[in-house]
Amino acid sequence: MEITFGVLLWAVRIGFLVLLYLFLIRAFAALQAALSSEEAVAARPSGIAHLVVQRSVRGAPRVGERLPLRAVNAIGRDAGNDVVLNDEAASAKHALLEFAEGEWWIEDSGSTNGTLVNGEVVRSRERVQYGDEVAIGRVALRLEQ
Amino acid sequence: MIGAQRLPVPRTRFTELSLLFWVAALAITGFVAVVAAETSSFGPAAIAVPVVFLVLMLALHLFLVARRFHGDQVLMPIAAGLTAIGLVLVQRLASDLVLQQLSWAIIAAGAFAATILIPKDLTALARFKWTWALLGLLLLVAPLMPVIGREINGARIWIKVGPASIEPWEAVKLLLVVFFAAYLEEYREVLSRSPRRIGPLPIPPVPYLVPIVAMWAIAMVVMILEKDVGATALFFGIFLAMLFLATGEAFYALIGLALLLLGGFAAYQLFGHVHVRVDTWLRPFAEDLRFDAGYQMVQGLYALANGGLLGAGLGNGMPERIPVVWSDFVFAAFAEETGLAGALALLALYLLFLYRGMQIAVRAPTTFLQLLAAGLAFIVALQTLVIVGGNARLIPLTGITLPFVAYGGSSLVTNWMLVGLLLRVSEVSNRMRGGP
Repeated sequence: MEITFGVLLWAVRIGFLVLLYLFLIRAFAALQAALSSEEAVAARPSGIAHLVVQRSVRGAPRVGERLPLRAVNAIGRDAGNDVVLNDEAASAKHALLEFAEGEWWIEDSGSTNGTLVNGEVVRSRERVQYGDEVAIGRVALRLEQ
Repeated sequence: MIGAQRLPVPRTRFTELSLLFWVAALAITGFVAVVAAETSSFGPAAIAVPVVFLVLMLALHLFLVARRFHGDQVLMPIAAGLTAIGLVLVQRLASDLVLQQLSWAIIAAGAFAATILIPKDLTALARFKWTWALLGLLLLVAPLMPVIGREINGARIWIKVGPASIEPWEAVKLLLVVFFAAYLEEYREVLSRSPRRIGPLPIPPVPYLVPIVAMWAIAMVVMILEKDVGATALFFGIFLAMLFLATGEAFYALIGLALLLLGGFAAYQLFGHVHVRVDTWLRPFAEDLRFDAGYQMVQGLYALANGGLLGAGLGNGMPERIPVVWSDFVFAAFAEETGLAGALALLALYLLFLYRGMQIAVRAPTTFLQLLAAGLAFIVALQTLVIVGGNARLIPLTGITLPFVAYGGSSLVTNWMLVGLLLRVSEVSNRMRGGP
């Protein structure tokens, strides 16, 4: 087939569509790569503070273990939580511990057995200070920097 | 400790650079196809505009590298890709406007660089929230003022500054998102944890509801006086989305939506320009409309149909039959010439933009920055939805611009500032946590 102006023009037009998709695929791949490396960083045990295990049961983190915290932490029995406490007395989604306005706040996520800070039941969103003891199920955790 | 575990800052932004390479290929191919179809020959003149644009994007990339900027590397190339598609379409649909659009792109790049530099501390924006609200209101009513206000195509949303007409609404968007983010950060507790409830419905304390009602009132006034339905929908949509994000109360969003529909219905009954929009949406092919008010809609639908699966080919369709195609119907024109395949890829690029924006929001360290990023990403998504939905006759057509792509300077400049702000938010998170 003779290569005419028309054939070339069609090649350029098809090339534009192909490039559009290549760009899209590359952008998507770059985005996924950025996301997974961000997740790796977030999962790295650096943490902005820690929960130190004071009291525990079999299967849950051992006494003395330092659990790293992020800005927002879901605590509970489910594997999907940021802080996983494998204790039958803890609910699947037990409590939420978050850092906002320069302070730590805890909130019960509607657990069966409740959340205690220094022995007091958490009723709404309450402030937690460094050194306070948080009890969830049969596990006790102390907030430390 | 915050900041103590920081990773070494990468010296290069390789991901960004490699994506810009694809933008370059896309822009040059697009211009070659369009200019060759127009002049019936291949000439070197075709690549002048894309080369200037690409040098500009490369300069932005080098600027970020030189600043050792530590933020996201995907959003800037996506915005560059969309702007490149926009330039190709302006060349195709209104080639006498292409140099003007290129100049706006240069100004937009400058505005982007400025957003990267100022303010030094992003959270400082929250402190001046009432200033932003006041400035936003002033800009919103500016087109109604005599002397500077201008009415174009029946909508009074322009002001005249020197030789150019600018749409202050575009800047208002950004100011509003900053204001909403700061306001909601401060009051979301009172709004979301109301002690009084009627069954499942929360009753918020009245004083905090005043701004919500005020927003609705302002939106309605803008629609009535400036005759701009699209801006109203966008304005109120952003507000409702951010209110929902901040409080988690779907009830507010539903009440707001009901109020908007009510206002819209009243406007349909009372005002001619709203009536026409709804009529051309419901029955564009009606005898009395198809060669009159509905002509633009009808031609837009023909263009979409003509596109088919792979399109007519760049420069080979008949999008010039649609009146004002370069601003209102760019999506239909692009879909005609690149088909369903091209239209889907374009929408997927917006989807990636939204996806990345929301990731940045989720990772942001403070409520203000989270709401800011989510609100900014949402603007782009909502605008795309409203104008593409309008082009496809899913919802009534409005004068909203397709972000980055449609012809228009104010829109291009503010959208690039929006990208700059999103990059800044991602930089704050990265600096705090370490990361790419």
